[in-house]
Amino acid sequence: MEVTTPVRTLPYRKLELYEPEGDMLTLQLGPQHPSTHGVLRIKLHLDGEKIIKAVPYPGYLHRGVEKLCEQLTYVQMIPIVDKDDYIAPMHNEQALVMAFEKLLKIEVPRRGQWLRSLLSELQRVASHIFWLGTMSLDLGGALGGGSTNFIYCLRERELILDLFEELTGSRFHYNTHCIGGNRHDIPAGWAAKVHDAVNLIRARLPEYEAMSCNHRLFIERMRGVGVLTGALALELGITGPNLRASGVDHDLRRDAPYDAYREIPVNVQTAKEGDCLARTHVRLAEMRESLRLIDLLIDGMPTGPINSSRPAKQANQIKIPSGQAYASLESPRGELGTFVVAGNGEANTSPYRLKIRPPSLHALAALPYLLVGHNVSDAVAILGSLDPIMGEVDR
Amino acid sequence: MAVIEEPRSYFHPLYDVMLSTPGLSVGVAPLDRLLTWGLKNALWVFPMATSCCGIELMASAAARVDLDRMGTIMRASPRQSDVMVVAGTITVKMAPRVRRLWDQMPEPKWCIAMGSCAISGDFYRNLYPVVPGIDTFIPVDVYVPGCPPNPEALMHGLMRLQEKIGLQREGKLVPSEPRPDFDAMVRPPALSRIGDAARAADLSDRQEQAALTMCPDAAPGVVEDEEKGFAQPATQATPPLNTELVELLRDRFGVTEFPLNAPPVVSADKHLELAATLQKMGYRQFLFVAASHRPAKEGSEDLCEVAYGLRTVGAGTKEAIWQVRVPTNQTVPSLVPLFAGADWQEREQYDLVGVKFAGHPDLRRIMMSDDWVGHPLRRDYPADKECAPWR
Amino acid sequence: MIFAASLAAAVVIVVLSATALALWYERKLAARMQTRIGPQFVGPIGLFQPVADLLKLVQKEEIVPMGADRVLFALAPPLTVIFALAAAAFVPLWPGVAVVRSDVGVLLVIGFGGLAMVPVWMAGWASFNKYALLGAMRAVAQSISYGVPLVLAAMVPVILAGTMDLDGITQFQATHHWFGLWPIIPGLPAFILFLLAMLAESNRIPFDIPEAESELVAGVTTEYTGMQFGFVYLAEYVHTVVGAAIGSVMFLGGWDGPFAPGLHWLLLKTLCLFTFIYWIRWTLVRLRADQLMTLCWKWLVPAGLGLVFLSAAWNQTGWSR
Repeated sequence: MEVTTPVRTLPYRKLELYEPEGDMLTLQLGPQHPSTHGVLRIKLHLDGEKIIKAVPYPGYLHRGVEKLCEQLTYVQMIPIVDKDDYIAPMHNEQALVMAFEKLLKIEVPRRGQWLRSLLSELQRVASHIFWLGTMSLDLGGALGGGSTNFIYCLRERELILDLFEELTGSRFHYNTHCIGGNRHDIPAGWAAKVHDAVNLIRARLPEYEAMSCNHRLFIERMRGVGVLTGALALELGITGPNLRASGVDHDLRRDAPYDAYREIPVNVQTAKEGDCLARTHVRLAEMRESLRLIDLLIDGMPTGPINSSRPAKQANQIKIPSGQAYASLESPRGELGTFVVAGNGEANTSPYRLKIRPPSLHALAALPYLLVGHNVSDAVAILGSLDPIMGEVDR
Repeated sequence: MAVIEEPRSYFHPLYDVMLSTPGLSVGVAPLDRLLTWGLKNALWVFPMATSCCGIELMASAAARVDLDRMGTIMRASPRQSDVMVVAGTITVKMAPRVRRLWDQMPEPKWCIAMGSCAISGDFYRNLYPVVPGIDTFIPVDVYVPGCPPNPEALMHGLMRLQEKIGLQREGKLVPSEPRPDFDAMVRPPALSRIGDAARAADLSDRQEQAALTMCPDAAPGVVEDEEKGFAQPATQATPPLNTELVELLRDRFGVTEFPLNAPPVVSADKHLELAATLQKMGYRQFLFVAASHRPAKEGSEDLCEVAYGLRTVGAGTKEAIWQVRVPTNQTVPSLVPLFAGADWQEREQYDLVGVKFAGHPDLRRIMMSDDWVGHPLRRDYPADKECAPWR
Repeated sequence: MIFAASLAAAVVIVVLSATALALWYERKLAARMQTRIGPQFVGPIGLFQPVADLLKLVQKEEIVPMGADRVLFALAPPLTVIFALAAAAFVPLWPGVAVVRSDVGVLLVIGFGGLAMVPVWMAGWASFNKYALLGAMRAVAQSISYGVPLVLAAMVPVILAGTMDLDGITQFQATHHWFGLWPIIPGLPAFILFLLAMLAESNRIPFDIPEAESELVAGVTTEYTGMQFGFVYLAEYVHTVVGAAIGSVMFLGGWDGPFAPGLHWLLLKTLCLFTFIYWIRWTLVRLRADQLMTLCWKWLVPAGLGLVFLSAAWNQTGWSR
């Protein structure tokens, strides 16, 4: 972990300093653009095709989730936060209920913890595999090799979504976590299906690697592009695979273990370079690691209850005493946390203020630093490699 | 108010030429059938994908459902597409762009509202930034309900659209009203579309009341029913701060109160110094800023509590969370000089809660548009604030 | 004269219908590579899909964006088709027959191929759209650069056969050997070089940066609607089909083949090359503009020069005579 000199160049540079007589093109990338991963607008100041300044404008999907959570009770808001990070809803739910459990001092039973970790790892594989698909789409276009890889990746993602559908009844937006545990226990025969899906994905991973990170053209497009130094990444609050690709060995699953990770050690995957290729390698390695963990989790699944109490049926069933807590976990995009201000002096059924710490927001905040000096094609690659989900950025 | 069937029947100028040329007009009917067949079977989709439904829209082009089977492909440019599939929540900030993209599409064009957010705003309907249904500003042909709808449902919606095109062109589905002025068309949502007229007005309230009265006195945290098979809740408390930090705060920053379930309060003038000290101690990763608004009550003024979080890196990571309590009209020292990651987070808190950060180089709105009035996450800000003309 | 005119009309019809078929073929091929089915419901095995697309495109409203240069904007799409089709006139169909026989056929074909850049630039400039402008800029840079290796690769069969007449080249291959196979040293690398340069000239992946969909929305075609877009769409395929035909004429012996030489061999070889081009398209990701230039000027142009030298040396040996 070589993180020494802090980087203190803020990207608020003045355009006038850059060749005042030169012709510049202002290109608005987004908010509706095939590869902005949702509705992000980036204002690019171009000299030819070279980016000399990039200003991202998020907020086009700001839906007021935090305000809505203040209106709802603790039971009602779990399906709402599913929609934040819509590639990995499992982690959203869990990050939320973990904060409530921390305030309530509820311990989830061992089987519930293992089930949560299992779902979390399955979701991580689904999320990373979807990311690989969209990354290829960004590089190869919808009318080219990228879309082939994308469709292969989505085919594998469907396997996991099918598992989730069998478990919870929904392809995503599961509403399966509840305060104190989980709502849905493993159905009969599900474990075997998990094994089948995991084996299939593991067997097919070399194919994707051949089409992506082991492919000559892919490497040419990714290597040395968008280099994020470890110091800058830390300072920006970037977490997850983006941080680990910059050489910082940090993973909440190992460093602040929760749930089954207290019992199962996680091998943290890192890379040194900090460029788009390193981020790809880290995600692919994490996918393999998650597949290994899934096998361990499903085989070692303890018996017992999955919930410390009966899942709440009434909206106001759960009251949380006044207090503030922050709980976080390692989502596929990094540290997803929930800061909850419960009650205003007395126990209440809905929070006073709820703040979700979105890892994607911090990843996007790196764009002004990373894009400068690259050209438009690289902008798309860099944006894709950071894996932002706008639902989570804007909430 | 019934659903308004938007009358849109665009006919190519070719028809006029054929109809006005003697001898050619006989060809119009067979030609029309041929052209209708063409229209129906080459619906190119413009994916107006904003959120979750967009993922299912992508999945519907993938191998399992494969919209290409019915000749539907995705076009990235609105100029070359026939169907705009609005997949996801449309916010007030996004709605003008959606409207503009819709206007950029060439006639004949159709619109599919995919998912409940696009149809009615879903549970975000009554929130300040969300447009309650896209049919308030663009005419929708097919509604595909679901949250999100499965890819199969989208394909079904496209097939219903094909039927509709056929009926429209045959004249069986005639427009019921004269063509409204679309340029000025932003109208209030048709409430009746999702509400049942026969339903009593206060039924929702009564249902909610019934649900609330079913368990009037829920004990904090413990659920009333403890049947066998459920584990008992653990009772030991986890301290919010480690001892190292408690000592630091007590000795150097004059903090006296350390509540068990809340971060300690640091005075605003010591705040920046604390952050710098922590950064030197290894708390190098920026976590979050969360401001919460406490409106003025008797005995206390209008306050903002701004909680900050930092984290150490690597094995055995620890987090440090503290809060600053300032009157709403005063500023909090910004952490941007120390942590670049505070930039967007502080902008967000400024935008939503209205806390001003001193020393922030770029304190602009980030979530709401620049001309937005008020700070939505303040407690006295109505959640269902109107925003003309979109909601 | 009448024969030539009717032949020309026949060639236009054949090329256009082959293109329509190619549209279907390519979509099916792509779908199969992606574990999908592809067009299925419109006509038997989706065969009428291009017809439906065309009928739909004809009916769409044609929008000229505000601020666009109306004349250039309207002129560009038909011109792309015309330039792409023009090259087809020089393809020898069967021994001694082409719509236009010219002693400098190779030069004219490459010239028309290069001209195809002009309407692309017209479209990009006239659209009054930044994405289109960026796309057109890239297209011009790419077309000019890749014209050089294209000419150099085409020089190899010209030197080997000793003629610039496309039919002459085919005749020579029929009596001696196909240049793509023998002489193996200047021949096969020249064929590969020609294919690469042709991919770049017709803006196919990995060289499709002018219309790079994930970056520039739809590149030069961003503002085109209806049939105007249809023309550009068609021209892309015509360009590829004709390019594949010329590649097979110059390196794979054109109409020459075992049993009965004739048009069918040309079509078969064209189909094979076309499939190969689309196989590449649906497999690779695209390169970046500066990488394309590096590839062209640092690798392909020197290689082309070397190949020209080698083919001259081969001629000096006199082994092929």
